[in-house]
Amino acid sequence: MPHKWAMVIDLDRCTGCEACVVACHAENNIPTAGEDQAARGRTKHWIRVERYWEGEFPNARIRFQPVLCQQCDAAPCEPVCPTYASYHTSEGLNAQVYNRCVGTRFCANACPYNVRFFNFYNPVWEKPLNLQLNPDVSVREVGIMEKCTFCVQRIHGAEIQAEAEKRELKDGEFNPACVQSCSPKAMVFGDLNDPASEVSRLAKSGRNTKLLGELGTLPNVNYLERNS
Amino acid sequence: MATLDSCGSPDHQLIRFIPDEDLVPGIATWKPSLCTMCGAGCGLLVRVMQGEAEVVHNGQNGLVQMGLAKKLEGNPNHPVNLGKLCARGQAGLQVLYHPDRLRNPLKRTGARGSGQFQEVTWDAALGELLAQLSALRTSDAGALAFLSRPLQGQRRELVERFLKSFGAPPAIAYEPLDEAVLRQANLLSFGHSQLPTLDLARADYLLSFGADFLGTWNSPVSQSIGYGEMRQGRPGRRGRFAQIESRMSQTGANADEWIPCRPGTEGVLALGIANVILQDKEFVHDAHSRPASLIAGWSDGLPDFTPEMVEKQTGVSAAAIARLAHDLTHSGLGAVIIGGPPLAHTNGLFNALAVNALESLVDAARNQPALLSFTPAVPFASAAAPSAKGPQSSFAAINALSQSVLSGAAHEPKVLLLDNANPVFSAPPATRMPEAIAKIPYVASFGSFIDETSVWADLVLPDHAPLESWLDDVPAAGAVSMVAGLAPPAVRPLHNTRAMPDVILDLGHQLGGSVAAALPWKTYDEMLQAAFLPLRKHPGSIDAKDDDEFWSKVQQQGGWWSVPAANGAAGRAAANAGSGSAAPAAPAAPPGARAAAKFAEPQFDGAPNDFPFYFLPYASQALGDGSLAHLPWLQEMPDVLTTAMWSSWVELNPQTAERLKILPGELVEITSQHGSVRAPAVLSPGIAPDLVAMPIGQGHINFGRYASHRGANPLAILAPLTEAETGSLAWAATRVKLARVGGVDQANLILYAGGMSGFPHEEEPHR
Repeated sequence: MPHKWAMVIDLDRCTGCEACVVACHAENNIPTAGEDQAARGRTKHWIRVERYWEGEFPNARIRFQPVLCQQCDAAPCEPVCPTYASYHTSEGLNAQVYNRCVGTRFCANACPYNVRFFNFYNPVWEKPLNLQLNPDVSVREVGIMEKCTFCVQRIHGAEIQAEAEKRELKDGEFNPACVQSCSPKAMVFGDLNDPASEVSRLAKSGRNTKLLGELGTLPNVNYLERNS
Repeated sequence: MATLDSCGSPDHQLIRFIPDEDLVPGIATWKPSLCTMCGAGCGLLVRVMQGEAEVVHNGQNGLVQMGLAKKLEGNPNHPVNLGKLCARGQAGLQVLYHPDRLRNPLKRTGARGSGQFQEVTWDAALGELLAQLSALRTSDAGALAFLSRPLQGQRRELVERFLKSFGAPPAIAYEPLDEAVLRQANLLSFGHSQLPTLDLARADYLLSFGADFLGTWNSPVSQSIGYGEMRQGRPGRRGRFAQIESRMSQTGANADEWIPCRPGTEGVLALGIANVILQDKEFVHDAHSRPASLIAGWSDGLPDFTPEMVEKQTGVSAAAIARLAHDLTHSGLGAVIIGGPPLAHTNGLFNALAVNALESLVDAARNQPALLSFTPAVPFASAAAPSAKGPQSSFAAINALSQSVLSGAAHEPKVLLLDNANPVFSAPPATRMPEAIAKIPYVASFGSFIDETSVWADLVLPDHAPLESWLDDVPAAGAVSMVAGLAPPAVRPLHNTRAMPDVILDLGHQLGGSVAAALPWKTYDEMLQAAFLPLRKHPGSIDAKDDDEFWSKVQQQGGWWSVPAANGAAGRAAANAGSGSAAPAAPAAPPGARAAAKFAEPQFDGAPNDFPFYFLPYASQALGDGSLAHLPWLQEMPDVLTTAMWSSWVELNPQTAERLKILPGELVEITSQHGSVRAPAVLSPGIAPDLVAMPIGQGHINFGRYASHRGANPLAILAPLTEAETGSLAWAATRVKLARVGGVDQANLILYAGGMSGFPHEEEPHR
């Protein structure tokens, strides 16, 4: 059976520390936009931590929610792409083929989660920051869209390794960069088609909710609600 | 050929050097290292892959295939971080590859402090410094000063040996937000001059007085791991916590109950809670515990701290005090901790002692093992183990240095060796650090970057980046076992730099005599090996048949620890239950004739009428105490409470803003008796109306291209008030006034733009 990659994010464990945010930049060759472009809303954060204030002083509360591509089963970003750059992989990922993309940005308009990012300019790494670039991940050029891939390079790497060793992938043997760094283990990644995987077990939790689930996007990122 | 000349960029005309590493293209290797981005001492695994770097060999530019660090992860075997890593730790790669990192030794050419340098050879640089040191040694050896951030492990031992044999005073360890107050309190209460290790994985209830334990305080990764387990690691049993603080921190944002308390009265609140517990006949009370004996009136049941009296002083309602006391004693395993702002008042030590007494009362009342413990010292032969002496305050040390220079005292420093400390940026203006540094006749810096302090150097001898260095670190908290982290260089040096410890050894050998005799090692790794080999005879993580095997395994595993790191928090709990955990049960040194601590009103700089607001500078989630402001990943990491990036800001209560007619994002000026800073306003419901807060980190004027001339530095307006007993800077004891000075267009607040607010429903506005 093919894999069906999914994530569970336990909002009762998440502390809002943003290790995931920096880990993602490091893993996926995401350039920093710099002050001027950031002021124009052009930073690229494939994962961000949203926060929602509730109440007023002294009864103020805040809730954190990490938001990344929800890898929807019925993804609004896919059918709108005229060049099939946004497509659905056999393992359930909303993939982006960079060299098919012509930059219509229809996908970003269609996505309700605001997790697709347009390259308004060619990325720059001031030397020798370029030496940090991950050779397993393409650098995206001006005029195309980019997004969270669930660290597809890590998925493929582990799959190839397992195949070479003639064995099945083990649950938890690899993780996307955000999940790997997450200290309180708020994020769990795995195969929903494996009923024994931790992600399958956690997805059955009574606290499970989907972000904007009422839109019918069928996200593969599951959020476990805070208990208090 | 003319057509071909126009092909290719100049990059491709560089010659290729023959690689001296054996790497397979495309195959990653993982090498252990240690994180140096804060003092927690987490273990790293570095993903190293072959790549092509531009380097200079013997003055010739060229390209070489070499191992390059691509990604940092936590070391799963390291007892402190168990494979996890925080945002600041992830950004350690950008220290290695920073475009403004110094690549060669520099000699000053312009006026002092002008930042004009020329590159020189190592021979020339070392020759110059050696001449300075030789001359000083014969004339006035006591006039050599060494100023650094707190040095870790054997680095400290090495520097101390060098200074002692030279005849110079001990090194000055300086960091803006030191923990001298809490370490002193823990020494008095528990006999350990350390920060505590928290076993949150077993906690059912935690009461935190201001400690940002999920963000910047103590050992945040270790604590966050435990926090996840506390919340959801035990089916059907969810630990809860309450946070006492007047400005909601990242940690406070996660609390089940967030309770503002009047600044400086946190100790009173702790005793109010203790009063309620002491009145409760349900519990057997040990009024004579060591932490309790340090508090005046404890044995009488704290009659001056009834909930009603405490409510008047702290602003926390008597009902809330009773509820906190109930939760602490009726929620299974509980713990009480203190950190951050409550310690940064003139009465900080009292606040800490009161909280420590409450912690031991809770343990005694419930007859429970303490969730707080102290990481045991590693049995190194040298003095590099954590000092048993009382802690030294950074502020007292830096102030003494400055005063001795400015007043021309006997043995005033004539040569200063500077290693990454940046007091010109972070010390309060009353210390007159820029003046003092300018007056020291000769300054040599080992730092990898030019900053506000090292720009005054006459000579710069740039250290390797940490990932290029032999590293060792003995974490003082975050693990229940002994931990001695060690790692060889993960990658070869990119630039023409040299490791600071090796430079010190080299200088020592050339100085000869007693200095050379005190430093019997050729290189720093030889010194590390000599220090680590004796650990082989202690039961620990490494099983080796001889010294060679032991040394090689220490390097492979990233260090040595006394108990093999078991899986996650359960192992931490098991180890804790077994070993000498119960902190209060270890009265190493009796408090002696110390008078019992009484509450003294916190003192503030500035009269309330003229300066109506308390001012709270706080360690930034991204930039720490400002020493990480040069890293672009961290500058562009949106602050989790405000979403601000690349900016400074001032947090205000919306009521305060309305009263002063300040709109979100407008430019405000904060003025103390010691100066003023300007920054855009952020309105936050998580801050008391009489408090304004500002993150530390921005406001650099000379710290590389990403940090310089950005935002404002709240430390620049602090009063030099100190904690009464320890001399530590009371950085929360300044009062300020506030005024709108410009519109949004004059401020420069950059907020993260990409939320989901308003889409597709009209949700509560994203603020």
